[in-house]
Amino acid sequence: MMAGVLVWSETLELERELLGQAIRVCGQSPGKVSLFVDHDLDEAGLASFGANGADVVYVADAPVTSPAGWVDGLEAVIARTKPTLVLIGATKNGMEVAARLSERLQAAYGAWAVGIDVEPGDGAVTARCSLYAGSAMVSYRFAGALTVLTVAQGVFDKAELAGHIPRSESLPFPRTEDGVSVTGHAAEKTGGDRVGQARMVVDIGRGVKDLETVRPLAGLLEAQLGCSRPVSSDRDWLPDWLGLSGAKIKAELCLTIGISGAIQHVVGIRDSRLIAAVNNDENAPIFTQCDFGVVADLDQFVPVLISRLQQRGARVSDLAR
Amino acid sequence: MKILVLVKYSLDVAEIRVEPSTHALRMTGVPERFGDLDKGALQAAVELAQTCDATVEVLCFGPPAARAALKDLLAIGADEATVVDDPYGGAADGAVVARVLEAAIEKRGPFDLIICGFASDDGYSHQTGPRLAERLGLPLVSYACRIGLDDGVLVAERDLEEGLESVSVRLPAIVSVAEEAFVARPVTLLQAMKAQKKPTNTWEMQADLGLDKDALTQSASRSSVLTTEGIVVERQGRVLKAMELSEMADRLIDWLVAEQVLVQQGGA
Repeated sequence: MMAGVLVWSETLELERELLGQAIRVCGQSPGKVSLFVDHDLDEAGLASFGANGADVVYVADAPVTSPAGWVDGLEAVIARTKPTLVLIGATKNGMEVAARLSERLQAAYGAWAVGIDVEPGDGAVTARCSLYAGSAMVSYRFAGALTVLTVAQGVFDKAELAGHIPRSESLPFPRTEDGVSVTGHAAEKTGGDRVGQARMVVDIGRGVKDLETVRPLAGLLEAQLGCSRPVSSDRDWLPDWLGLSGAKIKAELCLTIGISGAIQHVVGIRDSRLIAAVNNDENAPIFTQCDFGVVADLDQFVPVLISRLQQRGARVSDLAR
Repeated sequence: MKILVLVKYSLDVAEIRVEPSTHALRMTGVPERFGDLDKGALQAAVELAQTCDATVEVLCFGPPAARAALKDLLAIGADEATVVDDPYGGAADGAVVARVLEAAIEKRGPFDLIICGFASDDGYSHQTGPRLAERLGLPLVSYACRIGLDDGVLVAERDLEEGLESVSVRLPAIVSVAEEAFVARPVTLLQAMKAQKKPTNTWEMQADLGLDKDALTQSASRSSVLTTEGIVVERQGRVLKAMELSEMADRLIDWLVAEQVLVQQGGA
């Protein structure tokens, strides 16, 4: 028995990935995937959500700008469709919305799901969720009529269905008057390409004293620069950091320079095919989590590596691009 | 004005090791402590209290070991601290934790402002602030990286993926603070000595809050753990040391060529 899945995220890419997982979970019971959006949709927009798996799209009757408002909208959809499962994109606002929703409706809750199943017999939801900053995986079995799960970007794949046009419905709902008013926005500073999609990444840690040490190496390897959280927050060199609270990469090669290898960082790079590491401390945890390690002072080693790459005429292969 | 800071005594997850053959987690000997984010939430409260004649209390649902560590929080600037003994050994469902904290807040309160970290270091499920907002019917400002008070109105900046969002809300309210936004300063000897004289309270769920463990689990918990296992990513794990730098550079390049990441033009 599968009563349906409701999807919401504040970002389009996550919405599409969650719809893909929603139709996989629904399996043999089609027509059960609903999506909540807080903005008007034209025909093309509606059709694209259909192609990703939505059967019904509920459109908020007026814009929503706060987490409490998104919870109100989701509550209204749930009252109409009585889903078994709600999938929410794990942005910061998404994490607030998911926890509030499960508290408000006394629903089961799991954060950072990476695998989701509905048991054929009693329809119970089970999920594998990331635990202890990504050191471990816990499998939960949820009880009750409704389960709310958050999912990070890049965990599930989008689906593409041909000629699947969803129905859309305007959704009026009462808003929580919580008195929070938004008074302004300031866009994040961005520095060039984002690292999340990169195939080749040079990942720098606090051991790197000068960005110019590693920039030529990243150039030769046609790599994006990534960094650990302290480098991003203390030095203002790069806007994106890799790790638990930052970007997660699936690179062909991640070459870490001066990275110690704390789990909070490693979870951001460990889905890469290859990890190489340069660090002067042979006891650094990164050396237990890499494919190829070099114990050396990075300020001495990196220039040597650059000159050997140049002397040998080494270039990035088409496979790794 | 009364400010309450919620803190968790959490596992230092960087010290959790995984048994490679069985994927079992080695949890014995993993240190526990008040996390940086929890101390940051307290720092935010202490800084705010200095601008407006407020008292700052700390509340923790945690193990007996947390009691001894409370002095660190009192030294940072809290005036009083309360620990509710956790009979779940740190494994309580987020919904259960919210109900315990709610009961303790009602007994200690009312508070004008409740501050917590956006997540705990170990669970990292971002639940406590949002759940309490729903339970207490209070507005929540989550992921705050700056907070200030202006005539009974909290003004804050939220650190979101796309940038900063400025918000304002009339108190009482709940704030969850963003990562590294507030950093507790090292404690001076004088602060540590003063902390020894500050009051601490130890409460039991049943005796002090009237909450029965079994009844609470029954009514609030909606999940059961089937299995827990450590994540092991298989890596080649070859490490070079104590060699000529150019030799190590060449071997690294050789490996990258063998792995088809690099191609070499015109041979070595």
